[in-house]
Amino acid sequence: MRLELRDITKRFPGVLANDRISVSADKGEVLGMLGENGAGKTTLMNILSGLYRPDSGEIVIEGTPRTFDDPAAAIRAGVGMVHQHFMLVPVFDVVEAVALGSEPVTGALGTFNRAEARRRIVELSEQYKLNVPPDAKIESLPVGVRQRVEILKALYRKSDILVLDEPSAVLTPHETEELFSIIRSLAKAGTTVIFITHKLNEVLAVADKIVVLRRGRVAGTTTPQETSRQALANMMVGRDVELIVPKGPAKPGEVVLSITDLEVRDDRLEVAVKGIDLDVRAGEIVAIAGVQGNGQTELIEAIVGLRAVDAGTINIAGHDIGHPSPRMVSDLGVAHIPEDRGRDGLIPYMTVADNYILDSYHNAPYSRRGVFDLKAVSERARQGVEDFDIRTPSIETLAGALSGGNQQKVVVAREFSFPVKLVVAAQPTRGLDVGSIEYIHRRIVEQRDRGAAILIVSTELDEILAVGDRIAVMYDGQIVGILEGESATYENLGLLMGGAEFGVGTAA
Amino acid sequence: MNLLRSLARRALLPGLSVLSALILGGVGIIITDFDHLSQLGSDPLVAIGGAVSGVFNGYGAMIAGAFGDPSRIATALQTGNERDIATAIRPLTETLVAAMPLIFVGLAVAISFRAGMFNIGGDGQLILGALGATIVAIALQTSGLPSLVILVLAIAASVVAGALWGFIPGFLKARTGAHEVITTIMLNYVAAQIVLFALIGPFLRQAGSSQPISKSMTWVDVPPIVTLPAIRLDWGFVVALVMAGVVSWLLFKTTKGFELRAAGFSPTAARYAGMSAGGSMMLAMSLSGALAGMGGGFMVIGTVGQLSNDLSGGIGFNAIALALLAGLRPSGVVLAALLFGALTTGGKEMGIQTGIPFDLLFFIIALVIMFVAAPGLIRSIWRVRVKPAADVPSMAPSAPAGTV
Amino acid sequence: MTTTAAPGGEGVSATTTSARPHHEGLAARRALRNARIRGAVFLAIGVYAFYLASSAFSTPASFLFRFFNTGQERFEIATSVGLLWLVSGLASALVGGLQLWRGAAFRWRPWLFVVIAPIVVAVFGALLDGTTANFTNVLRGSLELATPLTLGAMAGILSERSGMLNIALNGKMLVGACVSVIVGSVVLRFTGNVIVSTTIAIAAAMAVSGVLGLLLAWLGIRYKVDQIIAGTVINIGALGITNFLFLRVLGRNPEFNTPPTVAAMQLPILSDLPVVGPILFSLRPYVYIALVMMVVLTYFIYRTRWGLRLRASGEKPAAAGTVGINVIRIRYQALLLAGLICGLAGSYLPLATAGSFQMDMVAGKGFIALAAMIFGAWHPIGAFGAALVFGFADSAQALLSVLGVAVPPQLLNSVPYVITIVVVAGVVGRVRGPASAGQPYEQG
Repeated sequence: MRLELRDITKRFPGVLANDRISVSADKGEVLGMLGENGAGKTTLMNILSGLYRPDSGEIVIEGTPRTFDDPAAAIRAGVGMVHQHFMLVPVFDVVEAVALGSEPVTGALGTFNRAEARRRIVELSEQYKLNVPPDAKIESLPVGVRQRVEILKALYRKSDILVLDEPSAVLTPHETEELFSIIRSLAKAGTTVIFITHKLNEVLAVADKIVVLRRGRVAGTTTPQETSRQALANMMVGRDVELIVPKGPAKPGEVVLSITDLEVRDDRLEVAVKGIDLDVRAGEIVAIAGVQGNGQTELIEAIVGLRAVDAGTINIAGHDIGHPSPRMVSDLGVAHIPEDRGRDGLIPYMTVADNYILDSYHNAPYSRRGVFDLKAVSERARQGVEDFDIRTPSIETLAGALSGGNQQKVVVAREFSFPVKLVVAAQPTRGLDVGSIEYIHRRIVEQRDRGAAILIVSTELDEILAVGDRIAVMYDGQIVGILEGESATYENLGLLMGGAEFGVGTAA
Repeated sequence: MNLLRSLARRALLPGLSVLSALILGGVGIIITDFDHLSQLGSDPLVAIGGAVSGVFNGYGAMIAGAFGDPSRIATALQTGNERDIATAIRPLTETLVAAMPLIFVGLAVAISFRAGMFNIGGDGQLILGALGATIVAIALQTSGLPSLVILVLAIAASVVAGALWGFIPGFLKARTGAHEVITTIMLNYVAAQIVLFALIGPFLRQAGSSQPISKSMTWVDVPPIVTLPAIRLDWGFVVALVMAGVVSWLLFKTTKGFELRAAGFSPTAARYAGMSAGGSMMLAMSLSGALAGMGGGFMVIGTVGQLSNDLSGGIGFNAIALALLAGLRPSGVVLAALLFGALTTGGKEMGIQTGIPFDLLFFIIALVIMFVAAPGLIRSIWRVRVKPAADVPSMAPSAPAGTV
Repeated sequence: MTTTAAPGGEGVSATTTSARPHHEGLAARRALRNARIRGAVFLAIGVYAFYLASSAFSTPASFLFRFFNTGQERFEIATSVGLLWLVSGLASALVGGLQLWRGAAFRWRPWLFVVIAPIVVAVFGALLDGTTANFTNVLRGSLELATPLTLGAMAGILSERSGMLNIALNGKMLVGACVSVIVGSVVLRFTGNVIVSTTIAIAAAMAVSGVLGLLLAWLGIRYKVDQIIAGTVINIGALGITNFLFLRVLGRNPEFNTPPTVAAMQLPILSDLPVVGPILFSLRPYVYIALVMMVVLTYFIYRTRWGLRLRASGEKPAAAGTVGINVIRIRYQALLLAGLICGLAGSYLPLATAGSFQMDMVAGKGFIALAAMIFGAWHPIGAFGAALVFGFADSAQALLSVLGVAVPPQLLNSVPYVITIVVVAGVVGRVRGPASAGQPYEQG
């Protein structure tokens, strides 16, 4: 069905999330919607799926204007949504999870007709080659299969318009390629697909038409044939992006972090890091690329002392991390910028000053024998706010009240507030605006030039290519390749990220 | 001026909450005033007037019962007659006596809340603290030790017993994720059974009593602040105030307090920052139990003088209310405890003077919690802008899935 | 897996990364290890029971059963404590053996009852220490005492399955008890009809408790009050208002505190069955209502559309919301139903046992019901089993004190609380409740 969004405007307190956005997609067309984090993509999709109501503008399906008061209305109108975070009940089996909300029933009591639901699900699964096991528990399925369950959910509801929100974030390149072929066959069968992403390669690979959003507005409409990576990137950020952080050549010194034969288990006690060897030297930045969930998180947690080492050794500045604790590692001069800053990096309900001393409160000058010197705390915190240009009304403001970029600056300011030998940064710029990204990259390079060893994990190839002096690629718990920064390209990294056995031209 | 305004803003929600609760309590008094309401058919004006004046009589008696009569206090002080002074100031001192354990348990609740733990076990910790103090005091009765030494040892025992009873849920939460709300509720009942069990034998039990109550401990006492007949106010109250200061210092001026607060807001961030979230849970619950136990100790040795199973009388739950009312600030806990102490003492006097049952107070206190916890309600009733009283660490996200 | 599922299953392993088989392997190994530990624990319990048996064969254990409701015919099982321990040991060893044999695939939770039941009887026999006990009364008592707990647990299950913590069961039961007495007394005075007044009394109790359930939902949903605090409000408020009413109204006007009472009902034919008739089929209607409710709820929660949506609301409300399910309406419905059931449970206490209202007459039964819910792993049948264990402890305690057996009642009174602590601490095997219970849900 033909979908049109006309002049959609949505305002949140302090933010104009969507500003008169107009897009359209024809029946059987794949519309790629490209934009940075915070460009308004997800808001727009939440409007389309009935979760939000627009302040103005209208949704037109097959020429008829529709208003969606709730998700049920959108579903009835044929809009199916695959959310970035899967909306599946983990303890349900596939039949229950898919049928939920559109259950076939029998009898006066509303008995769930499981057999009927199961029959239709098996049928759809076969028709679209989704290969979904109908009786398996959701929580036992790998993410790739869960995503196909999500697609099945939309098909089960006879959706003619399928919206996929950042569907590849958790997929391997191979799984992404599979997803693309499913998308193509759905489109061929007449489904209108809206594919939201911030990855340039993906829209170029799968979309028939590309709409670029920037700061809540449509920045441009184009097709893969008439555009290029660079042109799309420019449209996305609104100026010529400098994909390269200004930095001189690395001057590697002695080895600061040395990892040999490391094995680490994840929360489910499975081996997630499977025998890694890696050295990081003073004065160089090693960037670890890889699809999310290939052991990077566990590797970082082991280095900073949050996760027990199963086998192998981690040596930081000459000290073996045998029985690790975050305190001991941080006392060795290790700065850690955690992946999820809102949850792990800072405490939103505590003040900027409190967060500034969060992992060094027990040391001089902040405290002596367990008692704070509050004057020293506020002096140093004020200094940090100034040095790192943190935009906050005062150091007594709650950290949660700051913008994402300023929150991350608080974390970075804290981590760099004492002399640092090793910096471990996981996704240091995720979700930040371009200005903050540049600022944080500059600060990290600065630490390198001062002689710190830097280890950065990122799923963003742009970031990896911009900052990495050496680039290691992780796949399935192992380092499958290490490249010098200059020789790394999207293409060769993409191949490695897909793993050796799937390395057949998938990611380019 | 600014300070005053900020204080006023901070007091607006608690003040309006208490006021709203008292008004609803008044409605309760009116609609159960059958004596007056039965005349509704014959003389509605008198019926409603009588019922409404019942409210004013009741609350009037409550205020007088809580604070005494100022002119009478003045005259008594002028004459200098001990007995007169005692009678005149007794309502006021009884308010402070009632506030004493409320301060202790209120601080206990506040410190556990701050650390992200919901201690509903104040009653159990208090009564076990009281049991510990009782056992030590009675065991040392014939030891010949000076009574001050026995007092100190008994209070120490109450602290240890309370801390132990607090430690259990803290330990279980840290090690197994068992939700402290469930474990503390259950431990309250177990504590009550332990006390009943302890009061069976002749060692603790008052000879010849049919009720499970302990011997009264007259040989050891907490020294009174003023020596006047029938005035129970003793140094336990001062210790309670000191403890408020200590808790405030601990929470806001020490690194341990910083760790507790950090773990309360975000266990994972605390862990990432090198703190031990489990350690903080156990420490916070032990401190919490110790404070509640100490309150029990001071009650049983000092103001009450003997152990019985209903020693607490719902202090644990009142303490939750007042800790929330106080925004989890130790100074606020003292103020709120004084208010609740006044309500308790005054409420008893109201019962005696006007026959309006004291238990109305529980209803009022429940309403106070409700209004404080739902600022939106106060906002829509009174059409004012209020800020939440407490920056309470959010309980729900830190609760491990599936344990309640 | 059925034949249609097989291709899907193959597809999964073929199309995903190697994480999958790896994952399965380790999870399975861990499950096997846990299964072995569990089996060993059961075996150890069995061995210990054999040890206890060895020295207890000389202690007689005799249980009397009434043959019929009328008449004096008795049926006595005369055995020895040693034999009871022997049976316990065998049962435990059997379950332990099954566990070890079947490994991780063994569904052990239902078998727990097979282990616990004989041990409970053996402990009871050991405590009696040779005294003859009327077991018919103990078992009847167990079922009767389990009834308010079962009903309370059902209410708890409904609310927590919907995603709302409900520690307010106690308060709602207390209000239900009080309302049923006042309304029952008044209606009985006016109509003189026991059945009519009882029905209206129970209906009123349910209605008022239902309103309290809605209040709890309203505070939690509309005002985002922490659900534990909201529950505490209702518990304290209920205590205050019922004590107040008792002292101000019921105490002074006894005509408000003389409700109709609910007597035991002899089910036709079934109650004439020997031995089981007096135990199972001559109980108060409440017991049968509770049992029917257990079955109905099990069906509704696990077999109907509403149940599917209820569970989704409690497990992952966002998933339910995005497919157009009104999570908030479901939570209100669940808490209304829970309130209604609490009112029924509350009315049991004065109408079936006490004959009048007394202050704080619920005496923590709401919390024990909560314990039964957890012990029963949020499943109606499991909760009933747990309530039965608690009811038996209560009933045995009553009998032992009548017989003057020297066992401190405090010990048996503590049983439900201690069991609950052990269960939530995951000592017996972690139970998993609804994942999102207690977290406010924001509907877009």
